Amino acid sequence: MNRFWLPGISLVPLIGATSTWVQAVVIGLCAALMMLLHQALLAPLRRPLVAAPRLMASVLLLAALASCLQLGLRAWALPLALALGHYPALLSLQCLSADYLLPETGRWRCLAIHLGSLLVLCVLLGACRQWLATGPNLHLASLAPGGLILLGLLLALYNRVRPGPAPSRRQGSL
Amino acid sequence: MTRTLRNALLLALVSALSLGMTLAWRHWTLVPIHEAEQQLQIRQWLSALPQGSYDNQPLQMPLPLGDTRLPHSQLLAGYRATLAGQPSAILLRSQTQGYAGPIILAIAIDAEGRLLGIQVLEQQESPGLGARVVDPQVHWLTQFTGHTQSSHWALKRDQGDFDQLAGATVTSRAVIDALQDALRYFDTHRASLLEERAHE
Repeated sequence: MNRFWLPGISLVPLIGATSTWVQAVVIGLCAALMMLLHQALLAPLRRPLVAAPRLMASVLLLAALASCLQLGLRAWALPLALALGHYPALLSLQCLSADYLLPETGRWRCLAIHLGSLLVLCVLLGACRQWLATGPNLHLASLAPGGLILLGLLLALYNRVRPGPAPSRRQGSL
Repeated sequence: MTRTLRNALLLALVSALSLGMTLAWRHWTLVPIHEAEQQLQIRQWLSALPQGSYDNQPLQMPLPLGDTRLPHSQLLAGYRATLAGQPSAILLRSQTQGYAGPIILAIAIDAEGRLLGIQVLEQQESPGLGARVVDPQVHWLTQFTGHTQSSHWALKRDQGDFDQLAGATVTSRAVIDALQDALRYFDTHRASLLEERAHE
């Protein structure tokens, strides 16, 4: 496993919750907040806890964080919370896998790069999907399969326009 | 042994902290969530009524409804909207069975028995098909406004007056039947729905 697995684990909220750009921005920010808080809270526990106890602590923290996130969204952005459905809670799976996939050295830098690219991708995808659904009235774009197709096109475009030939290990990742 | 004990203690501490944090946060957000839900509910329920067609707070005075079991749907509540003291509309909340689950509608009917507006409050229809009933770009529900009970309340394929949502015949039929039920209920109970206030 290497750091290029990170975009893969964000796939569920990235496709499920980006049908409008407002939703996309909010889910991107929620993902960043959850991951940063989770890593920050786990950092002091990294040395004393290993393996199974550490996983349990991670799950406990994520349960608390996801509950607080859902409650906060319901309190201050109820229409948005209803539109996002269960996706904010599903972010905890992404955090859980990120904790395993992040390298031991250069953890924060890797996380920052990942979160930055995730935010950019969320906003791009959300804006494209909303524009396609309202402008040319392409209804498919507002549904999940349309999101998946569009994400593939965006990644293909990225690989095409990035300077120099894309090495094969970079295919399909940011 | 000491390692196991230390792990157990740390985990207990983490769970206590997580639980405490969640409970405190829940306690803190309880009131804002309740207020937000109420405001959203009021906004949604009243959005079936056109702007400026009422000057009271319809949801403050629920109407006593008689037999709420209609042939294809069930009435959950009824409210009277008034303008300058005169009843201007009746707002009925109706539940019917859609394709994937119950559909709850807010149906506004004016004093002459014409449909003023419809708002879908809850639905679980298939995304892209039946769920387009709430899509703001699909103006399917607006075709019903202005119609009375005397219209042919059926889809065109059933020799009626109305278009259907493409690919969602069950949803379309359920909504049309619920609207007809509500209009029929209004016509039957018109006197008690509108004029109760005059006797007070």
